[in-house]
Amino acid sequence: MDFSPIYPAVLLTLGILGVILADLFTKGNRPYVGVGIAMAALVAAGVSALGLQPSDQLVLGVLKVDKFAVVFAVFCCATGAISIFATMRGEAFRRPGGEFLTLVLAAVLGMMLLAMSVDLIMLYLAFELVSIPSYVLVCMRRADPKANEAGVKYVLFGAVSSGVMLYGLSMLVGLSGSTSLEGLGAAIHNGAAVQPMFLVACVMVFAGFAFKISAVPFHFWAPDVYAGAPASVGGFLAVASKAAGFAALVRVVGATVTEPVAGAADPLAELLPGGNPMLTIMAVAAVFTMTFGNLAALRQTEIKRLLAWSSIAHAGYLLLALSVWSDRAIAAMMLYLVAYLFMNLAGFLLAGIMIRELGTGDIGKWRGIGRKHVFLGVAFAVVMFSLTGLPPFFGFIAKLQVFYAVFDQGYFWLGIIGLVNGVISLYYYARVLAMMYLSDAEEGEPEPSVRLALPDRMLCAFLVAPLIVFGIVLWSGIVRWSEAVVPAIFAGGG
Amino acid sequence: MLSLLVFLPVAGALLCCALPAKHARSVNVAFSGLALLISIAVWQQMDLSAGGYQLQQQAVWIEAVGINYHVGIDGVGLALVLLTTFVSFVSAIASWNIDKLQKGYHMLFLMLLTGMLGVFVALDLFLFYVFWEIMLLPMYFLIGIWGGPRRHYAAIKFFLYTLFGSVLLLAAVILVVLKCDTWSIPQITALARQALEAGDAGGILGSVGLSLAAFIAMFIGFAVKIPSFPFHTWLPDAHVEAPTPISMILAGILLKMGGYGLIRIAYPFFPQAAIDSGLVITIISVIAIVYGAFVAMAQTDFKRLIAYSSVSHMGFVTLGLAAGTERGINGAMYMMLAHGTISAMLFMIVGVIYDRAHHRDIDRFGGLAWVMPKYFVLASLAFFASLGLPGMSGFVAEITTFVGAFDGPYRSWAIAALVGLVITAAYYLITLQKVYLGSTPDAYKDPVKYPDASKRELAVLVPLIAVTIYMGIIPSTVMDMYKGFIQTDLVPVLKAALETAGKAMG
Repeated sequence: MDFSPIYPAVLLTLGILGVILADLFTKGNRPYVGVGIAMAALVAAGVSALGLQPSDQLVLGVLKVDKFAVVFAVFCCATGAISIFATMRGEAFRRPGGEFLTLVLAAVLGMMLLAMSVDLIMLYLAFELVSIPSYVLVCMRRADPKANEAGVKYVLFGAVSSGVMLYGLSMLVGLSGSTSLEGLGAAIHNGAAVQPMFLVACVMVFAGFAFKISAVPFHFWAPDVYAGAPASVGGFLAVASKAAGFAALVRVVGATVTEPVAGAADPLAELLPGGNPMLTIMAVAAVFTMTFGNLAALRQTEIKRLLAWSSIAHAGYLLLALSVWSDRAIAAMMLYLVAYLFMNLAGFLLAGIMIRELGTGDIGKWRGIGRKHVFLGVAFAVVMFSLTGLPPFFGFIAKLQVFYAVFDQGYFWLGIIGLVNGVISLYYYARVLAMMYLSDAEEGEPEPSVRLALPDRMLCAFLVAPLIVFGIVLWSGIVRWSEAVVPAIFAGGG
Repeated sequence: MLSLLVFLPVAGALLCCALPAKHARSVNVAFSGLALLISIAVWQQMDLSAGGYQLQQQAVWIEAVGINYHVGIDGVGLALVLLTTFVSFVSAIASWNIDKLQKGYHMLFLMLLTGMLGVFVALDLFLFYVFWEIMLLPMYFLIGIWGGPRRHYAAIKFFLYTLFGSVLLLAAVILVVLKCDTWSIPQITALARQALEAGDAGGILGSVGLSLAAFIAMFIGFAVKIPSFPFHTWLPDAHVEAPTPISMILAGILLKMGGYGLIRIAYPFFPQAAIDSGLVITIISVIAIVYGAFVAMAQTDFKRLIAYSSVSHMGFVTLGLAAGTERGINGAMYMMLAHGTISAMLFMIVGVIYDRAHHRDIDRFGGLAWVMPKYFVLASLAFFASLGLPGMSGFVAEITTFVGAFDGPYRSWAIAALVGLVITAAYYLITLQKVYLGSTPDAYKDPVKYPDASKRELAVLVPLIAVTIYMGIIPSTVMDMYKGFIQTDLVPVLKAALETAGKAMG
């Protein structure tokens, strides 16, 4: 038995143990030892994942370490490392304790396993391994009542939705007689999909995923949780947790869609992808998720809530790509996730810095900051325009690929709804900039001032620069890369 | 050469960034001037009789999806590039007394110039779209930071409206590219022509319904910029709040991009759909002309009046295009160029008086002719140019468009548009009388507070008026630039489409 494919996971586990031991022996006096170990573990796991030879061989019968899984492993490690760094620069605590680091590492481990699992039981376990540390991460600031409220909400929503999902999974097992996705695919191929039970199971399983990716109508927890948690944790959940959810969703949908999906015959008439209940459900959820997320974001004045609703809207675009289900669409989704990683982490990082410096996330209090602090202002402008999806930034490229895929499959109206949603989102993203640039500081009030240390600048630059570089020159490479990852999914799906 | 022209202003913006703020305005004037010189050099280098795209530059950009960096210029592009550099240069001079955050202003101004020039020379749809969108970013800040009291509202309204148009354009572009498998504008144009000559009514998308849908999406996308009725409501707000030089650019150049998009992309890509929707476009144009003129007459805000007159005048552009005749399109093109200089001039006229009086209420002015004679002469010339006095460019444009529309299939609607001309004359004359003639209220008699037009103001207005009169007397200089494209590329295609449509009905 070759265990090398799960070395990244092993390294992370060692990291978790290392952090706990370090905390124990230094008695919390040297917090940076723990940070160092955690970072080292994440980097080592990421690098070893990159060095893996992707294959279709199953490990332990439940994990598959193909290209797709490797990509997500690296993705989650990177997000984890950036989030730890961002936490140190953010508003919450400059010196993350051992418990914080342990939880982040455990969540990353869960995400990694989630993207690798090809077995329903493994999938569920990984799912919970992501969820439970996340619950705790949200209410790390015990003294803050908002954080506690957010934590409780998150636990309750999480528990209910994963219960529903488990029920759905059990039905799928009942239908196929096997816990493996391969077995499920075979059963569906042999006609299990016609049973009404299959539809019920799909709805229930999707409910669980919808919670994880914060899709409407399972999104209610997101604004409170993101606003209550430190900005960096919000970013971590919004990016890594969502990405892992999408990775697993791709695996499950891949198993249930056994036939190649035909596009719409008449682009002007057909509204939703059919052929498979999962795809239809996802398309409907996508439309509601992006529209509702964007409309709700319009009214937000607190930066973290605004980013929370915006991340719901982005989940809608990602679902849209998934629901049309073609090679091109999955590639577009991968590309979108990468863009989303940079944009959203940068957004939450900047939010954290602003809250740290100004003591408030209320954008109404940010008047004139952008003009005074050119670096911060430009970084915010790039991130906001990129999130809106304007050229020449990375966000535009990602959106372009998604809509290209949607139109390619012939779902004209879905594409138009998505594009118009981009216009709606401009309103609230631009309002942040309007406050920072267009408004003069109110008379009588002290001028808000911000001090940026070198690490702040470096981290910002690290996240913001790719938005420009990939938007203008390097995107040919990244498109090719995203296309290269895709075939692995279909090979495993059925 | 073209790339140099397009990206030179970016270099200027970087130089602005590097130098102290007090030099920013000199850098802006210098680089806008340099762009004007280069565009004239481009004109000299081109062989206009040869036709087709010239001075092309092409390089692979995004190989994975077949996107090229491809620029080139033909007569239509040249005319608009010259307009752009010219109006930008005088607007840069008009920006001399901007005193708030100078560095930022002039940087954004130069970046805007790059975006505008890029649109007129891009021959790749992706490049075109990127330039098209990039313009929005500086414009948003230019209106939003340096604008009037309601600048937030105006800036975001402008941004949202135009982005809405843009995404519809993007949707149509994606459809076209998926079907044609190329982003190259000349190639797609050629494909559309082939399809038409083969008698395929579906055009490049292979389906009549889909072509019509894509054309409508594109038309709305461009119509928002023009702006055509009923997508015009952002314009008065944006114009009124924007600082004077930005209003000049907005009216003088940005509105022309809509028309350019129709001529370069929407009409050649979907000639059949364009002909089929000719009646609707004609009606929209007539409404814009007449309604815009009526609304302009009702304004008491000087700048709002000019803004609505733009809506009215830009209606002629779509009217001429919808006719699909050679004269009609010729007139539409000429209207864009004439309106570009005249409206820039009118906004400067308003800016001059606003700088002194700090209000724009037409009813509160009076008798300014006696206080500021030079300014009065220039203002009345601008008014007459705009209402279409023979001998100035506005007249040539209007007459050509009308004759063209008469030749076209919707003659009776064209007659209805004549009402707009009468009203236009009425509101300009009324304004002229209210603001400049009559007795001077005491408030305006102080020669210290109300000096005549300064040298800087004259430097802006005189070149504009000179070009307007030149274009009114010798229109052929300009018309010869783009005649080739209209005669050999656009009109035959539209004629063929008209015949196909006739066959389908018969």
